[in-house]
Amino acid sequence: MLIAGVDIGNNSTEVAVARIGAGVEFLSSALVRTIGLKGTLRNAMCVIDAVDKAMAAVSMTRNDLDLILLNKATPVIGDVAMETITETVITESAMIGHNPDTPGGLGLGQGVTVDIRDLTQTAPGAPCIAVIDGGVDFREAAEMINAAVARGIRITGAIVKKDDGVLIYNRLTSPIPIVDEVQHIDKVPLGMPAALEVARVGRSIEKLSNPYDIATLFELSPEETRQITPIARALTGNRSGVVIKTPKGDVQERRIPAGTITMVGETAKEAVDVELGADAIMEKLARVAPLKEIQSQPGTNAHGMFERVRTVMAELTDQPVSLIKIQDVLAVNTLQPQHVLGGLAGEFTRGTAVGLAAMVMTQNIPMQRLAAKLKEETGVEVEIGGVEAEMAITGALTTPGAEAPLAILDLGGGSTDASIIHRDGTVKSIHMAGAGDMVTMLINTELGLDDPDLAEDIKRYPLAKVETLFHMRHETGAVEFFDAHLDPSLFGRVAILGENGPIPIMHDLNLNQIVNVRRKAKEKVFVRNALRALEQVAPGGNIRLIDFVALVGGSALDFEIPEMIADALAEYGPVLGKGNIRGCEGPRNAVATGLCLSRKGC
Amino acid sequence: MKLTEEMLRQIITEVVGQMAGGAAAPASAAAVDTDKPLDFIEKGPAQAGSNPKEVVIAVPPGFGTTPTKTIIDIPHSVVLAEVAAGIEEEGLTARFVRNYQTADVAFLAHSAAQLSGSGVGIGILSRGTSVIHQKDLAPLQNLELFPQAPLVEAETFRAIGKNAAKYAKGENPNPVPVKNDPMARPRYQGLAALLHNKEVQFLDPQKKILEVVQG
Repeated sequence: MLIAGVDIGNNSTEVAVARIGAGVEFLSSALVRTIGLKGTLRNAMCVIDAVDKAMAAVSMTRNDLDLILLNKATPVIGDVAMETITETVITESAMIGHNPDTPGGLGLGQGVTVDIRDLTQTAPGAPCIAVIDGGVDFREAAEMINAAVARGIRITGAIVKKDDGVLIYNRLTSPIPIVDEVQHIDKVPLGMPAALEVARVGRSIEKLSNPYDIATLFELSPEETRQITPIARALTGNRSGVVIKTPKGDVQERRIPAGTITMVGETAKEAVDVELGADAIMEKLARVAPLKEIQSQPGTNAHGMFERVRTVMAELTDQPVSLIKIQDVLAVNTLQPQHVLGGLAGEFTRGTAVGLAAMVMTQNIPMQRLAAKLKEETGVEVEIGGVEAEMAITGALTTPGAEAPLAILDLGGGSTDASIIHRDGTVKSIHMAGAGDMVTMLINTELGLDDPDLAEDIKRYPLAKVETLFHMRHETGAVEFFDAHLDPSLFGRVAILGENGPIPIMHDLNLNQIVNVRRKAKEKVFVRNALRALEQVAPGGNIRLIDFVALVGGSALDFEIPEMIADALAEYGPVLGKGNIRGCEGPRNAVATGLCLSRKGC
Repeated sequence: MKLTEEMLRQIITEVVGQMAGGAAAPASAAAVDTDKPLDFIEKGPAQAGSNPKEVVIAVPPGFGTTPTKTIIDIPHSVVLAEVAAGIEEEGLTARFVRNYQTADVAFLAHSAAQLSGSGVGIGILSRGTSVIHQKDLAPLQNLELFPQAPLVEAETFRAIGKNAAKYAKGENPNPVPVKNDPMARPRYQGLAALLHNKEVQFLDPQKKILEVVQG
């Protein structure tokens, strides 16, 4: 009997074709992208496509098949959302703290802010800082400053609207520090005491990021010093900064209400404010586990996200929204580049945000409808096979060197699943919210890309910096030379080393920044979920009692996730590695293989 | 888009001016500042540079003398000043050459890149079409191309200089946003063709590439 085992996943659909007689002989396998949401009728297209592909590989057609076996898809849908919980607000233009690429000059300047056009009427004596708006050309500005200095006016620094810092500096008779690219220069208050600092290349400002130095400069009282502390903190790490002393000037970090969620467990119930951050949410979650349902405060952002997950699931399963229960969440702290409200130079800060992945489960995914449709389309008998977790384990056990008791971690796109098979053949499994899709979202927001496809590529492939047209430096530091020159669009850029050649990243981001964000995102989601999931399936909740762990699923193919999980699990001592299904498939095709094996002896 | 009478008149005046005797034409309108020729001093054959801090800018022979402004009337002195300012702001220096051999913007820019100590060069045609080039590329490739002269404004020239300097520093600049206007072609094509004709007339294979400084 010739059968095809089909596994429809969130992202990919896999097929294994086998001849079942006395034993099971595997003939071929195939993998295609899943079309439509898992479990819906639209899947029929990709199932037929995958089956055809597998049959073509052994020169047969789908008509030769006796049976198509579908997995009883675990009705799990994950969704992800991001909630910003802090924002920075500057009032009364108290500071400018941004990172123009090329400020002019060096050092610290202090004085009263004066419009450059008024320098001619300024009396010599008191030090001043020139404010140069967009109407003044860099040559004129330099001439005006030089003329003023010649008249004996002490100019200690300049604030410029355009990207003219170095140009003005190069034309001055006496050097001063210059902060440029201040977009909203018209909002800089004039006649106010101010201090301005530019650090040398590769350093960040030292004086204006220290509250005591600001206090020294402006002769502040201890009470006032306390108030300017947020300014000093906001300027930390910048190459240039300006602090202006205005009567009510202030910088505040404000928390944005994101809503309260209430987690209902079997025995306990806990409410938590999303703005308290991911750790607070996860701590409360652990306290109520196992989670039965999440309620959220209507009208809040958190509510909106959970409702969206429920609606999708309700449509899929033809059930009322009220019956859909959220059974796991993963909250992750992240940083999101944000415009500073009231900022004068289009400053960005890295606001705190919480990323949430939610998972929904129902008992009723309409697989029967899909099976009927497939039968009608192909003319082949279609059946729904065993439980996904059991099939995955059966498939994973074909990995050479693995035996029960074996735990598998299925690292997918929408959810992270773990199952364990004990020596007596009993299987326990668990589904966790948060997987590949969440990593993509974290990369997208932390780098401020606003381009999920690019974020997806960054997640999947290593990076390199193209240093000349004939060589690139990989993120490991290794240099690779080329005989023919690379594509000009790659020149000088950080590139993603994808399957179809390098893709340039057209954003002003350096390689280390991207690598750090990528690795952190993977650790926050996969390492955390791997530990969380294994703890729940391990005997007595003790990961040390698991001997073998095999990684399967799409994200197990990732170039660094398996080693990250291996590092994290090293202290618990299990054998951990990527599964190698049937000794030839790598970490893929576990469920499809398991489905075929389940018919052994029929 | 139809040619208005005014445009036709303008073209005819240009052509007549040309026929009347090349370089005499701009003199008639010398009263307007934008028609003032560039004060270029030729310093002999340009040498390949070794200074990694320099970006070379190549212009065709007519640049700044016969046309003195781009297709949208930006004076050539402003063009060069803006590009040089963009380079200076990034901490690099600009060097100018006049290439008597080509009026093709790609080859012009490539010749600049090959002379440049940093390997990065800029080619600018009289009408404003510009290219940022790198010495290892084939002539018809580029780092950044600004093909529609009517959309290259003074700020664009500053940005071109800035980005060329960033490439020379090995940084990862955001490409200068290239504008695209489907109407630019019908509106300016006739004029552009004329300007190109004019540009080609000044080529002189004997003279090769000369170093120039602004007087």
